[in-house]
Amino acid sequence: MSRPKEMTRAVIVGHKSILKQTIDSLYDTNLFHIEDFVEDESGFKISKPLKNAEEVSKKLVKIRSIANYLGIVHKEPVVQKTDSVLRDLDSKLDELDRAIATKTDAIAQLENELKDLDSQKRELMPYLAINLDFDDYRGYESLKVFAGMVKGNLDGSQISSITKAYELYFDPQSKAIVLFVAKSDADKVYELLQGIGFRELRVPERGGVPSELLRFIEQKEAEVTRKIESLRNEIESLKTKYADFILASDEILSIESQKAELPLRIATSANAFIIEGWTPTENYDKVVSAVNSATNGKAYVSSLEIEEEEEEHVPVEYNNSKVAAPMQQIMDLYSRPKYTELDPSSVILITFPLMYGLILGDIGYALILGAIALAVKKAIKSDAVGDLMNILIYCQISTFIFGIIYGEFLGFSLASLHTEHGSVPGLIPGWETIVLFEGLGGEEFTFPIHRTHMVMTMIAVTVLIGLLQLNLGFLLGFANISKHHGVKHAVLEKGSWLVIELGVLLAAIGYLGGTGLAYVGAVVLVLGIVMLTMGEGIKGPIELPSLMGNALSYARIIAVGLSSIYIASTVNDIAFEMIWADHSKIGFVAIAAILVFILGHALNTVLSIIAPGLHALRLQYVEFFGKFYEGGGRKYNPFGYIRKYTEE
Amino acid sequence: MVGEELISGPFLDADGMKALGAALAITVTGLASAWAEKEIGTAAIGAMAENEGLFGKGLILTVIPETIVIFGLVVALLINSA
Repeated sequence: MSRPKEMTRAVIVGHKSILKQTIDSLYDTNLFHIEDFVEDESGFKISKPLKNAEEVSKKLVKIRSIANYLGIVHKEPVVQKTDSVLRDLDSKLDELDRAIATKTDAIAQLENELKDLDSQKRELMPYLAINLDFDDYRGYESLKVFAGMVKGNLDGSQISSITKAYELYFDPQSKAIVLFVAKSDADKVYELLQGIGFRELRVPERGGVPSELLRFIEQKEAEVTRKIESLRNEIESLKTKYADFILASDEILSIESQKAELPLRIATSANAFIIEGWTPTENYDKVVSAVNSATNGKAYVSSLEIEEEEEEHVPVEYNNSKVAAPMQQIMDLYSRPKYTELDPSSVILITFPLMYGLILGDIGYALILGAIALAVKKAIKSDAVGDLMNILIYCQISTFIFGIIYGEFLGFSLASLHTEHGSVPGLIPGWETIVLFEGLGGEEFTFPIHRTHMVMTMIAVTVLIGLLQLNLGFLLGFANISKHHGVKHAVLEKGSWLVIELGVLLAAIGYLGGTGLAYVGAVVLVLGIVMLTMGEGIKGPIELPSLMGNALSYARIIAVGLSSIYIASTVNDIAFEMIWADHSKIGFVAIAAILVFILGHALNTVLSIIAPGLHALRLQYVEFFGKFYEGGGRKYNPFGYIRKYTEE
Repeated sequence: MVGEELISGPFLDADGMKALGAALAITVTGLASAWAEKEIGTAAIGAMAENEGLFGKGLILTVIPETIVIFGLVVALLINSA
């Protein structure tokens, strides 16, 4: 159980001449969360960006557009020295820019050429069947040439009714037509042609036989495509050559641009500046000494009192051990705790894997998922993925333990099972189920627990576990409220729930035992309700039934768990029936059975992350957090950057 | 005993009634959950389209009605094991 890190509010005041050094030192320490300045009547204004801002952002835009064009992705970092990158930055950037520009220009030109060739080809196609030199189409004084397509059919007899002097080329398949007639007959022939849906087509300007032209164009096309391809390859090789440089300079320029734009977030007057912000108290001295050494002590750093109404808005930094730290991901998914609140990460560290394990509880799946989590963690070196995999591993450890308690392996029962119809041996010979004591509804409480045969008992057990967690929630709420509003409020708002539960418990025991305890219980219950009404107003008693809903909601632990078992054992049944159906030949059926087994369990493995994960999470968020947690804290986001591709 | 004989026809013997009851418990609560989750899911996706940070909240809100079908499942299990 921890609280967020204690924060100190600090102001840094100095002359504008040391602003740059101050910014640099704050950036390098990466510990100071800067509060944006809002202009008010104090006379301070936000300042202009540093001088180099424009140049830096220009370069940054250039490098990012290049990176974008080349499709450079973040990768395993190759750390480079900042100085050397900065030295070569301008020349390399120009070189890269020029190289890409000439190549993209060339590609664009070639692509235009390709388009041109394509349209030439399309012009040519109708004349391909006629295969007449295009020079023959033009240059006549007394001849008219009709070249185009018709809809209907055409033969010489139709034209010869108009004139005998003609020459007709017609391809009945493509319906292309070329017709030479005397100019004097042209009008009449045109009418005839219109009658069969003549549409004139352009005659390509270039001379030559269509089939040869086509071959020529296709050759040319192949050539141009090859050129484009080789240019693209050159660009690709630019990418491999410059990737490290681009990533490093992007990082350096981003840093420079963030620094250069900081004056837009702080208060300045004609000669002075004020930077206000937060730092974890443990790091306050580091910030002070960093600023002092950068400015030769010319900047004035001091800490401020935090007023009570401000506490809600203090940026929040988690304060967890390395083991509990992955759980912060789960917290952030819901909402970061407020500065004034308890940070439940370390509680979740226990309760979340506990619920997950209670639901899944299977040695086989624990081993599979654990191995997958370890492999992914090793393969992907990302903080976020690493944290998620750590959470998954915690869950699998718990699943493994409950797998032993339940005696389950991939839906098989490891221990023997005794029912009214006799005893079924388990997967491990000799592991006998031990009856511990009588459960509910005639069920026996055994080790290992056969969940499918003691549903009633398990529902009761899970609801009981739920009640325990809910009460833990009330206790945490009690701690939260008593710290900030006093013990009296805490007793009325959260303690009253405990009193109510006690009342119900006493009344139930009294009722079942038929003793006077029932009346005592009733009195305690009424007292609890009165306290709750005093604490939370009329809203309190209205929420009373939700306690029962919350507790019953924990029955999902057994319900979801059973669904997982049923899927697994159905897969097992199908696979084994297929194998045992025919002993004589173990061939195709056996392979199919193995496939069914593997695919079925693969599906159930995926479901085993989603269903238990989601339900375990929901129990934390809805049932547990509902009892004490508010959330809504601001993230502590220090000014600075964690360098990946460069170093000083 | 008379009642038992009445319902022990070819279709609705005691086991059949139990199975039907369990089936009803699952079906009706399943439909109810689905209906509620549909409404919430649509809204949650709409909200996430505007702000991806709402994924966690959306997820939680979407699985809340799941309780209904879980209760149904519990009831079905109780019917079967009684």
